[in-house]
Amino acid sequence: MITGTGITKIFKQRGGVLGAREVPALRGVDFAIAKGGAVSFIGESGSGKTTLGRIIAGLETHDAGEIVIDGVPMSTLSHRARQPYFRRVQLIHQDPYSALNPTRTIHQTLEAPLRLRAKQTGRPRSWVDGRAAELLAMVGIDPGYVLPRYPHQLSGGMRQRVVIARALTMDPEVLVADEAVSMIDVSLRLGILALLKDLRERLDVGVLFITHDIATARYIGDDGELYVLYRGQVVERGATEKIIADPVHPYTQSLLSAIPVLHGLERPGAERVVPREMQREGLPDGGCLFARRCPFSTERCESEMPVLGRDGDTDQEHACFHPRRRSVIPVGVGE
Amino acid sequence: MTAHTAAPHLAAPGVRIRDLTVVYKTPAGELPAVRGVDLTLAPGTITGVVGESGSGKSTLALSLLNAVQPPGRIAAGSVEIDGLGDVVTLRGEDLRRARGRQVGYVFQAAQNSLNPLKTIGKQLLDLGRSHDVEDLRALVRDAKELLARMGMDGARVLDSYQHELSGGMRQRVGIMLALVLNAKVVVLDEPTTALDMITQATILRIIREVHEERALTTLVITHDVGAVAEVADSLAVMYGGRVVEHGPVTEVLGDARHPYTQGLIRAIPRLTGDLSLARALPGRPPTLGTLPAQGCVFRERCDRRMEVCETDEPMSVNRDGRTVACHATDRHLTLVKRKEFV
Repeated sequence: MITGTGITKIFKQRGGVLGAREVPALRGVDFAIAKGGAVSFIGESGSGKTTLGRIIAGLETHDAGEIVIDGVPMSTLSHRARQPYFRRVQLIHQDPYSALNPTRTIHQTLEAPLRLRAKQTGRPRSWVDGRAAELLAMVGIDPGYVLPRYPHQLSGGMRQRVVIARALTMDPEVLVADEAVSMIDVSLRLGILALLKDLRERLDVGVLFITHDIATARYIGDDGELYVLYRGQVVERGATEKIIADPVHPYTQSLLSAIPVLHGLERPGAERVVPREMQREGLPDGGCLFARRCPFSTERCESEMPVLGRDGDTDQEHACFHPRRRSVIPVGVGE
Repeated sequence: MTAHTAAPHLAAPGVRIRDLTVVYKTPAGELPAVRGVDLTLAPGTITGVVGESGSGKSTLALSLLNAVQPPGRIAAGSVEIDGLGDVVTLRGEDLRRARGRQVGYVFQAAQNSLNPLKTIGKQLLDLGRSHDVEDLRALVRDAKELLARMGMDGARVLDSYQHELSGGMRQRVGIMLALVLNAKVVVLDEPTTALDMITQATILRIIREVHEERALTTLVITHDVGAVAEVADSLAVMYGGRVVEHGPVTEVLGDARHPYTQGLIRAIPRLTGDLSLARALPGRPPTLGTLPAQGCVFRERCDRRMEVCETDEPMSVNRDGRTVACHATDRHLTLVKRKEFV
């Protein structure tokens, strides 16, 4: 179990006539990822979803808040003492083309972390090769074919599976998959998503799935939980299926409305929401962060900041003064 | 607009690609990235070409500019554009002038195709000078109008460097540069890749609106069926260098006939529908080196493979404005024999 409370991150931009400018990337985010669970962060670029993923993987520091791994608050430990904990969280990069060292065979790529693992767990060196083959079989590729090859000899889908196998060498509790399928060919995407779902069930490993495409979040498990992030704040949170079917926050509705309609198979939702303006720098920080772009904002939204809660009889949590269900997602032609 | 030396065509031009074959030189000999492609872009329509990596879609798009770079070359076929002739036969100055003026091109990752050292305005003036535009003031005015049309402050954008603009803004700058010389045929290669969902929706809406207002003939190349579905009138599906299916977008998506198109649609992550019905296509897309020398290019991943698929390349069958190249679909129709690749 990994939990976070009040995670805050401020990026300082240097330069400019007025000196340093502070850009809040995360504004007090709470989260919990259970063993074997599925949590998805969705949002546009600048929402803080990648920063949060990197903080959870121990690759980035935060300015306030607490991360607790297996009941141990990380702030109580020295940088060195934290390492074994963060090793239980493994990051799967977006780009399988740059995530693997091109001068190493897949065997070499897996061997190094497995040796470390063997040392940590008191296993003999002979365990390493067998384990490498076992992991590759687990991610659905033929070890005999892949082990002696270099990354450039593999397709994008295979490389991403190798990256996942490498992440598994550390017996992680949580895999952080940051846009893990966005660079994979469309016909192979579901294969990678099904693999993540399968690993959850077989290894009881939790998956934190970070994406801008909500539709893909459904495929890592129908028991998943969805966090919608906007400018560093969670604006809606609940069961993935519930939020997709019945979103109440206008930002979530905007995201869902933007998903292309497969004309011929689907009809557009009747109440699609289009933001009043595009995302840009310099949007005001006072009041609701989405107010300036929101088509439904009122005076209250401009001055007061809504907090995440269940206000207004909804199943999911949301941060909106005027939550309302709207049918924004496409409807199947046959339905 | 009067300042431009070549008079813009008033009506949208049609584009006819006939039996186009583009080969790349490899250690294993010349291999076809695009093979025997017939595709007609009806005047004033948006055609979407969808395909995975290695399908030949970007090579096809470059052929419209006769811009296939060595080690690739157009080995056979023609690309006829109304008012311009066969682009494949154009050379030197004629070709350079046609690019930009008659055929506008928005490159893949247009976000990264701008010069980082020059302001957008400077790059616009460079473009104008290289095409002998006499009235550069009018050009700047047109550019500002186009940018304003796409929801941006033209003067500010022209004074900006590319790093000062967001991905969505750069994409719109790319579209402006492709249209400002009054090109009537516009090719957009992956116009929304790497953009956020809401930005993508905005860009797609802008493409559709500008296309209609300026009476363009537009070709959109993408790997994203959704993006094409939202914007195109007709949809061509490419696989292994062939157009395997082509027709009106609602019909191709609503009633796909080629097993690859059917599999691709089943593989798209969607917001609704039964999760258990969605599945990835088995196998993986072919590369130049793994393309079968004979028979159907898709047969290894196909669930309706027959004996004939091993040996004979399927012919394009045309019916009711829809084209399908598959042995397993309706075979009682007029057959158009594909020329064998030499």
